[in-house]
Amino acid sequence: MRVKVNPLLCTGCGLCELACGYHWDEAFSLISSSVMLYRAEEKKNYMGVIVKTEEDLFIGRPEGAAAIKLGELSRGGTGGGASAKPILIREACDLCESTTGEPQCVAICPHGALYLE
Amino acid sequence: MDSMYYGDTLIVDLDSGTTEEVDFVEADEAGPGLAAGLALYEKYKDADPIIFGSGLFTGTPVPAACLGFVLGRSPVTDELAVAPLNLFAGSEMKLSGFSMVVVKGTSAKPAYLWLHDGVADVHDASAFAGMDTWETTDAIRREMGESMIQVISIGPAGEAGSKLAAFSINYWGSGDTAAIGALMGSRNLKAVALRGLGMLDADDPEEFYTRSLELFAFARKDRGFAALCAALGAGDLDKWLEPIAHRARACFACPSACFPFVKYNEAPTVMESSDVEEPGMLVTSPSAALWLMDGGWEPEAASRALEAMAREGLDMVRGARELAGKPLTDLGQITRAVKALEGFAEAAWPSGEPAPAGLFGAWTPPLADADAWKLANMAGYVLGVCPTYLMLSEFDLEALAGLCRPATGVRLEIGGLADMFG
Repeated sequence: MRVKVNPLLCTGCGLCELACGYHWDEAFSLISSSVMLYRAEEKKNYMGVIVKTEEDLFIGRPEGAAAIKLGELSRGGTGGGASAKPILIREACDLCESTTGEPQCVAICPHGALYLE
Repeated sequence: MDSMYYGDTLIVDLDSGTTEEVDFVEADEAGPGLAAGLALYEKYKDADPIIFGSGLFTGTPVPAACLGFVLGRSPVTDELAVAPLNLFAGSEMKLSGFSMVVVKGTSAKPAYLWLHDGVADVHDASAFAGMDTWETTDAIRREMGESMIQVISIGPAGEAGSKLAAFSINYWGSGDTAAIGALMGSRNLKAVALRGLGMLDADDPEEFYTRSLELFAFARKDRGFAALCAALGAGDLDKWLEPIAHRARACFACPSACFPFVKYNEAPTVMESSDVEEPGMLVTSPSAALWLMDGGWEPEAASRALEAMAREGLDMVRGARELAGKPLTDLGQITRAVKALEGFAEAAWPSGEPAPAGLFGAWTPPLADADAWKLANMAGYVLGVCPTYLMLSEFDLEALAGLCRPATGVRLEIGGLADMFG
């Protein structure tokens, strides 16, 4: 099981990032989440969601979604661009194992852009 | 109210280029959000300050908790007026470590304020003088090496003191219909740049989070302006924009995605990040778009006019009202017409009830029930929740206010809001 992303359903509200941050810190921030809203190319309205796991980054970009091994990223692979780097030092997604029900990011997304598979 | 960052207030003195943090204990009595902003204005009114602030829930997972504000004396009406900080500007401001920022004085040369990680600095913006808001946003992000910085900036109109000036949030204009942009220009304040990497604590985090999630169960989840147009009895903006529409975008924490992005410099079907650096415009002002649609403009030309106004740092609502009756198609003509705008039109919506004047201005859509309109604005700006969303969703305001206790340990009654506004 893992959290996947349908990026074309994403509206860029950032709730997934906030909910995941709450899971880790019981507070509200955008710095410790295992999920990151990619919004670095604002002028192009190019946005997506990145989920960090122990092994890879699941990158949901508008042109498609794919998992990229962390090792490939360190060799200059096709991550989410420079602004994806902070997510590499964050905790990996644990599917909110300490809570009942679906992961917080999946539960809070208003448009079903994140789902469990 | 120590939770939710209340207590950290920044005083910026542009005369000296210095900043100072103060403990604004009066906020506990005045109330949160805009109520605290009004009390701060009163406290420092001899300096006629500009106040940047955020609401109680701004930056938290309460539906539509995106809202911050800018408060100042409008050069248009000479009365206090508030303008919204939506998109990610309000939340990033809150998470930058400052819930309220009081800007006093006038800088000797163009300056910008940089707020991040609980640190505030006044920077020289001489190199940005004369730049439009798109150039200013790019320049500050480049200078700081961070593409997600939120930039509240003025363009040439604000620098020139035009009463049609408005500040812009990044590239997309704003709901400033009171010429706060001109007020910033008169203080030589070219921009406020924000990056929010802080953390907000709640008094009872589990209860606050759980009850916030419960609100999402009843939350509206619209895309585009359709619901707003229907409520106003106005034409369908979404259908009009459809031939050039790309994807709709939401403000922070909002289950609705009101703002359509339109592409006219490349096909709207292009989803990947192409070589076209500036493919189009995020349409953030339904009022301005309605004026142009009703005035007979084609959607592409209208969107280009909105872009031109956002770049210049002009109030898109009053600008569009002036442009409405003379539809143009040629880009050169559009650019010249935008630069020639004089600002004789009042900020208003082209349909529905007349927009009430006063503190809140014409950003939110008019309602037939003026008391309900005022209550939505008061609740929105105090709690940090988009008032337009409150109006459309018909949220239970008491349930929303009920989150105040787990958030801060202090109760807030909706019936007490009017007292906060005198």
